[in-house]
Amino acid sequence: MKTQKAVQTENGSIAIEKPESQFKQMWYALIQNKAAVAGMIIIIFLIFLAVFAKFIMPYDPNYADLAINKQAPSAAHWFGTDEQGRDIFSRVIDGTKISLSVGVTAVAFALSLGTIFGAVAGYKGGKIDTVIMRFMDIMLSIPDILLAITFMAALGRGIDKAVIAIGICSIPEYARIVRGSILSIKDSEYVQAAKVIGNNDMRIIFKHILPNVLSPMIVRATLGISTAVLNTAALGFLGLGVQPPAAEWGDMLGRARVFIFEAPYMLIFPGIAITITVLAFNLLGDGLRDAFDPKARK
Amino acid sequence: MKKTLAMIIASTLALSMLTGCGGNAGAKSEGTKTESPKTEEPKADKASQTLVFAQGAEPRGLDPAFVDDGESSKVIVNIYEGLLAYEKDSTEVVPALAESWEKATDGLSYTFKLRQGVKFHDGTDFNAEAVKTNIDRQIPPQRKEDMPYASFVFADVKDVEVIDDANVKINLTKPNSAFLANLAMSLAAPMVSPKALEENDGNVNKAPVGTGPFKFVSWNPAEDIVLERNEEYWGEKAKAQNVIFKFIPDNSARIVALKNGEVDMIDGIDSTGVDQIEADGNVIYNVPGMNINYMAYNVSRKPFDNPAVRVALTKAINVPELVTALYGDYAELATTILPTFIPGYSKDVKQTAYDPEAAKAELTAAGFNQTIKMIVYNNPRPYNARNKALAEAIQSYFSKVGVNVTIEDYDWTTYKDKVIAGDYDICFYGWIGDNGDPDNFLNLLADQNPALNVARFNDPAFNEIIAQGTSTEKGPERDAIYQKAEQYVADLAVWVPVSHASNLSAHSPSVQNYSYHATGNIFFKDMYKEAAK
Repeated sequence: MKTQKAVQTENGSIAIEKPESQFKQMWYALIQNKAAVAGMIIIIFLIFLAVFAKFIMPYDPNYADLAINKQAPSAAHWFGTDEQGRDIFSRVIDGTKISLSVGVTAVAFALSLGTIFGAVAGYKGGKIDTVIMRFMDIMLSIPDILLAITFMAALGRGIDKAVIAIGICSIPEYARIVRGSILSIKDSEYVQAAKVIGNNDMRIIFKHILPNVLSPMIVRATLGISTAVLNTAALGFLGLGVQPPAAEWGDMLGRARVFIFEAPYMLIFPGIAITITVLAFNLLGDGLRDAFDPKARK
Repeated sequence: MKKTLAMIIASTLALSMLTGCGGNAGAKSEGTKTESPKTEEPKADKASQTLVFAQGAEPRGLDPAFVDDGESSKVIVNIYEGLLAYEKDSTEVVPALAESWEKATDGLSYTFKLRQGVKFHDGTDFNAEAVKTNIDRQIPPQRKEDMPYASFVFADVKDVEVIDDANVKINLTKPNSAFLANLAMSLAAPMVSPKALEENDGNVNKAPVGTGPFKFVSWNPAEDIVLERNEEYWGEKAKAQNVIFKFIPDNSARIVALKNGEVDMIDGIDSTGVDQIEADGNVIYNVPGMNINYMAYNVSRKPFDNPAVRVALTKAINVPELVTALYGDYAELATTILPTFIPGYSKDVKQTAYDPEAAKAELTAAGFNQTIKMIVYNNPRPYNARNKALAEAIQSYFSKVGVNVTIEDYDWTTYKDKVIAGDYDICFYGWIGDNGDPDNFLNLLADQNPALNVARFNDPAFNEIIAQGTSTEKGPERDAIYQKAEQYVADLAVWVPVSHASNLSAHSPSVQNYSYHATGNIFFKDMYKEAAK
C-alpha cells in the first residue's frame, strides 16, 4: 500500500513526499526538541563513560590508601579522595556503570512483568482484572521508596537485589498504562477481525494490541529510568545498596554526609553525577512524550 | 495551550512553595522567641545559676538499680551518691557516704563507717538500715530480672549486717578485689531513700530521691529534666541553683543549640563537629576515654580457631595508620585492651605488628582461601564514631593481601542480636569501662556470655589468669597478672585492639570548673556560670 502523495508545503509549492512511518515522524519531532537532544547527548556520554570506564579511570576505584584520605581536589586527584583514601573521580566514573545498569535492568524487569499483568488484566477483564489491578493499587498506595526499603531489608544487600526491589516497585505503573491502553483498543474492529480469523488470545495481545501501546510505554520507561537511578541512589544513601567497596553514587553521598563541612567535595561530585543522569533521562522522556503526542507535535 | 497551562501551574506551585517556606521560617523564629524568655526569665544573676546540659538521648529511668545506660547515669550521679566515689580525674576510689572502711583479713567482709547527719531529699536519715535496704533489693532473693547491673556490682555479696546506725558490714561469698571500685559506680551502687522505695513500689525511676547535691524537680518526657540545688547537702553545697538536662538526639542540632546559647554544655560529639564548635567560640573538652574499640575474630569457627591464621591476618592491618586516618586527634591508638590510665596497663605488651608481606606468605602457608564474613554496626558508638568505615578500612587492608571480605552492617539493636547468633568470622565491638578496674575489661574474654565475649574465646589457661586477678590484692602483683593476660591474648591475636576514643564534650566559655569524668559522667556540683558574659 505504498503510495506517494502530494503535500502542500507552507510556502505554497507542491512537494512529493514519501509516507513517513510513525517512528520517523517522532524522530523528527524529537530532534527538534533541544532539551531532549541535550538529554540524549548526555545519556550517550554516560553510556560511553560506563562502557570505557576501565580506560578512563586514573586509579583503581576501590584501592584505598588511608595515608592520603580526605584530600581536597588536586591535580593528582581531580575530585579529591574519600575517607578511605580512594580516588573520588575514579569512583564517580565507576558509579556510572552501576547506576545505568540498575536503572535499565530495573525498568526492563518492571516493564516486562508490568506489561504481562496489564495486558492480561485489560484483555481478560472481569475477576482476573479486579484481582490483578486491586493488587497493583495496593502496591501503588505504598510510596515506592518505602516499598523498596522493605524489599531490600528482606532480600539483603547487593546490586542484584536492588534491581529486583526497585523493579518490583514500579510494576504497577506499567501495568496500569498497558491495561488502560488495551481497554481503549480491545474492542476496535481490527482486534475483532483478528479474533474472527481465529487468532488465540496470546497472539492477539502480543501481535496486535501491544505494538499499539508501545509509545506510552517507551515514554514511561525512559522516565522510569530516571526514577530508578534516583531510587538506587536513595537506597545507597540509606546504606541498603551495594556491598562495599563498590562505588555507587548514593552510597558515596551517604557516607560523605558527616563530612559536609569538613570535606564538601566528597558530596558534591557524586551529587552532581546523580543530578545530571536524572536530568538527562527526564529531558529525553519529556521530549519523547511530546514527540509521541500528535497534538503536541508542530 | 497545554504548555501555557503547565507553565501557570508550575509557577503557582513554585510560588506556593516559596510562601510555604516563608511561613515556616516565621513560625520558627516565633518559636525561639517564645522559648528564650523561658530559660532566661529569672534576673541575670539567677539565670547564670542555671546550667543547661544537652545530651543525645533521654534517660531510661532515674532509679540506679533499673537502668544501664549512660544517659541515665549522667542525671543519677547528680541526685544520688554511693558509699564510695571516684576521684575527680581518675577512677581512684574515695570516700563518699562512707567515711572510712575496713576490710577483713580474709577479704570476705567489709565494714563501712557511715557519714553522720546525712539526709535524703525527702528528709529521712541516711543510715545503716538504708544501706541494707539498697543492697538487699539487688541481691537474691529480692533481685529482679530487670536490674541490669545488680549482678555485676554486687556479684559476690552474701548479705548485709547492720551493726548500728553508723556502721554496716557487707559479707562476700568470695574475695573480690574489684568490690570497692564497684561500690563507686554510678549504676546499681548509689543509695536510694528507703521511704521513697516503699512509696513507689520499689522502683523510683520516675521519682528519684537520693542524698546528692541536687534534688529532682520535674521530668517533661522527650524534653527535659530539671534539678535544683539541695540546700541541706552534707558537704559543700552546689554552686548553681538549677541544672536542666535537655534531650537533643541530632548531633548537629546539639551543636547549634550550644551556639545559640540555648544550652551551656553538650556531649556526644565526634571529630566532625569539633571545628564548628570552636568556630562558634565554644570550648572543646577532650579527655581520654575509658573504653576500647576493637575487632574480634570468631575463634569458635574454622579456620579462625587457628592462631596462626589470626596472626597472619592481623599482620595485614596497619592499625596506627588506620587510627590516624579515621579518628585523627580524637582517639588514641590502642596498644593494649586496657586504656593507659587503668592499673595493669603496660606499654611492654606487644601486639602483632603490621607486615603485609609476611601476612601474604603465612596465609598461603596456612592454606587460607576463603571469603571472610564481617559484621559491623552502622550507628556511631561512643568508642567508634566512624562505625562501618573501620570495617571498610580493614576490608581494604585484607584485599591488599588477596583476602576477600563481605561486610554486613546493621543498626545497633539488630547488630547485638547478630552477634549473639554468632554467624560471622569477624565482628566489631567496643567496651566502655564501668569502674576503672582491669578485670572489668579483660574479663570480657573469659566471660562465657557470647554477648560480652564476642570472640567466643574460651581458654582455660586464660580464665585461670583472670581468676587469679580477681582474688589478688590491688597492687603491683595484681597489675603484673593483667599484663600477663594482655600479652597472652595478644600473642593469640584474639582481638585486634584499635583505639581508645576520647570523651568529647563542649561547653560555653562562661561555664566555670567544667569537667567530664572518664566514666562518661558529668558532675555539676562545682560548676557555675560567670554572671557577666
